Amino acid sequence: MLRMLVIRELQTQYSRFRFGYLWTLMEPLGLSIILWMVFSVLLGPRNLGLQPYLLFLSVAMLPWWWFTKGVNSSVRSFRRNVAQLRISTLPTQFWVLRILLVSTVEFVMSLPVIVIAIILTRDLPGPFIIFFPIAILAQFLFMYGIALALASWNVIAPDVARLVRLVLRGLFYLSPILYSVSNIPEHVRPLAALNPLVGILGLYRIGWWPQEIEDMVHYGLSLGIGAMTFVIGWIVFRRLESRVLKES
Amino acid sequence: MARFTITKDLDVMVEFDGVGIRMPRARKRKGPAKIRRFAGQASPEQVWRLRNVTLSVPAGQALAILGRRNSGREALLRLAAGTLIPDEGQVRRQAKIVPMIDVAAAMARNMTVRQNIYVIGGLLGITPKVMGDLIPKVAHLAGLQGQLERTLAPLTNRQINRLAWSIGVMTGDRAYAIDKTHISEDPEFAPTVKERMTQMRAEGVTFIVSSDRPELFLDHWDRAIVLERGAIIADTSLAEATILFDEIGGSDDEDRDDDLPVEESFEERDDLGEEEVWEQEDDGDRPRKRNR
Repeated sequence: MLRMLVIRELQTQYSRFRFGYLWTLMEPLGLSIILWMVFSVLLGPRNLGLQPYLLFLSVAMLPWWWFTKGVNSSVRSFRRNVAQLRISTLPTQFWVLRILLVSTVEFVMSLPVIVIAIILTRDLPGPFIIFFPIAILAQFLFMYGIALALASWNVIAPDVARLVRLVLRGLFYLSPILYSVSNIPEHVRPLAALNPLVGILGLYRIGWWPQEIEDMVHYGLSLGIGAMTFVIGWIVFRRLESRVLKES
Repeated sequence: MARFTITKDLDVMVEFDGVGIRMPRARKRKGPAKIRRFAGQASPEQVWRLRNVTLSVPAGQALAILGRRNSGREALLRLAAGTLIPDEGQVRRQAKIVPMIDVAAAMARNMTVRQNIYVIGGLLGITPKVMGDLIPKVAHLAGLQGQLERTLAPLTNRQINRLAWSIGVMTGDRAYAIDKTHISEDPEFAPTVKERMTQMRAEGVTFIVSSDRPELFLDHWDRAIVLERGAIIADTSLAEATILFDEIGGSDDEDRDDDLPVEESFEERDDLGEEEVWEQEDDGDRPRKRNR
């Protein structure tokens, strides 16, 4: 049933556009190229991120794209499906999971962008690339926790969805997407590690830039907070589930 | 999951034990309209919709629920089916109870009849594989043969309600919680509904139906209860219950879902506007206004 709902959602999204699936590739690729042009070409070579910068940017841009799309749309998943919730004999969390899985499928389908960046930069990853799928799993759980809590809160206060948009905008600059962890001053790094995306994006990148692993203690803290977010999100959802159903 | 817990050794189909539930009722801010518009909406107040309800429905029984608007009819149905979790007391059920409560509202007008049958069937517990075989029967029952590939957009509300009902009765379950919205305003379809329900009743199916005109659905009801202000005030025969129901004011003219906030429906409050660059665009699946 969940599979059918996910496929149905994907069909709805893609059938409306002439280029369909190609948008999944073009959006993150286009954004990566624009940012690469701004920070590498227009502003000239500078000590931002690691080289090759286009690949460095793409490897974090795709997970970020997944994160922002997944969280933004799943926050509204209960409110969008109030009529379905009234009659659904499926577990309540399916509605959040559905939207999250849709964005995950899109993320996986957008991975060829990294392949394109590898071809353009001719920089193959090393053995640490095995952390890439682990990063996907960690990000999925982190997002699931956030989405469950926020979607439940959003039912009670629709303001949450707007606030999330603002916070995500800030998080883009607070996470090492445009820059490397090494760009963060050392005394600020423990503070930066409170952001689970620091650890997750690090796991994606260490296949190419093993030096990103040097700060292992901070990554542990960051990933630990990510895991805690999942647990807290689940608890919040369980506490608010009754209220979510009442509002449907 | 917890809300759909089945107690197989229960000796009745569904049992309410001291059940109470609070439901939100939107309350607007006081003061001049212009200021209210900018100030946002006050937190919805929670009011008791049902309180201390104790009720047993034996398997195979046809139970009619009579109640005015805001009496708690729909909450009772949803609690029986498990699409609501009680705040007080406990609801136990022997088997799955199909929630046929405003099914039409869950349908998407931009989807085809066939797609809607799969999705709604799935929500009510029919797997896509089983549904594949049932589609011709659903289309026949709803009178929509040959229209499976059309979207719902050109269909009338009556046709959509017929489709909703036809999907619901296909689940093959032993108990149904049915809201009157499906059929009560469609006298042409009432004989089909009655025939089907009589047949299912002969097979031992349990019916809990909320309606102000239960005679439309069946010739014979085993029992009727009257709900008033969240409490059962009579548990008797349909004839007696109908007299009492008329005495307390009878059916509402505008008999809509009684558990929605009084001032405005939920979806009207959801106003997020257009999404921005970073966000996924909204598709056409936003809940639409209910068919009445």
